[in-house]
Amino acid sequence: MSSRRSRSMQSGSSRITEDQITDLVSKLQRLIPEFRNRRSDKVSASKVLQETCNYIRSLQREVGDLSERLSELLGSLETDSDQASIIRSLLM
Amino acid sequence: MKTPSNSIKRRFALKFLRTLVRIRKSTHQPSPSQSSTWEIRRRAQRIKLAAYSSMARTVGSKRAWSRALTMKLRAAMGNRPWSMIKQESKKMTRRKLIAKRKRHMEKDLNSGVQELRRLVPGGQWMDPLSLMQETAHFLRCLETQVRVMRSIVAEGEGFPC
Repeated sequence: MSSRRSRSMQSGSSRITEDQITDLVSKLQRLIPEFRNRRSDKVSASKVLQETCNYIRSLQREVGDLSERLSELLGSLETDSDQASIIRSLLM
Repeated sequence: MKTPSNSIKRRFALKFLRTLVRIRKSTHQPSPSQSSTWEIRRRAQRIKLAAYSSMARTVGSKRAWSRALTMKLRAAMGNRPWSMIKQESKKMTRRKLIAKRKRHMEKDLNSGVQELRRLVPGGQWMDPLSLMQETAHFLRCLETQVRVMRSIVAEGEGFPC
């Protein structure tokens, strides 16, 4: 990866250190199922970001797929069936 | 770092279900014939937008990503909030400049951060720190959204017609 020289990003009022970003990246790491089992800090920041992107994309794909299935369900729903009453009771 | 709670799950589920009922009412065919593939696909698109919009409304204006998503969805759904977009972009101009400068410095993390900026609503204009924080919250909400949708589908598919 990169050299270990410390880097601070200065721009106007805010000053961000590499440590701050590393800290947040490790927090992000704990949210990704791919890395939750691995307790070590050996995962590189760029790998975490990459996996985060992959994970977000897979979730978005799943939203699309689930929407299709919901659409089919809504199409096949009878007016006074069990499904409709379940939805109604969930809304109470 | 704040993370979404169970109340977000409940409030999202309620909003989303209400929208589903509305969508069904407006697209339901009185005849027993099946909806066409095209109708199913079109309704699926509405459901997808409803899911994201319900989550954005649940989170409200508290997070930058939910504000950005709300604006994006309004544009997608045909409202013309050009005045709102112009206002927001005036605020964003200085932030954009700062963000642009910082992007030049994100050499090693570059490709990952750039991609993340595209995936997280409003990510283009965030500084790296905020981007990480917003990503974490956005991710948790997206997971919640998927979990709720999965359970609704499971309920629906679990009952054969």
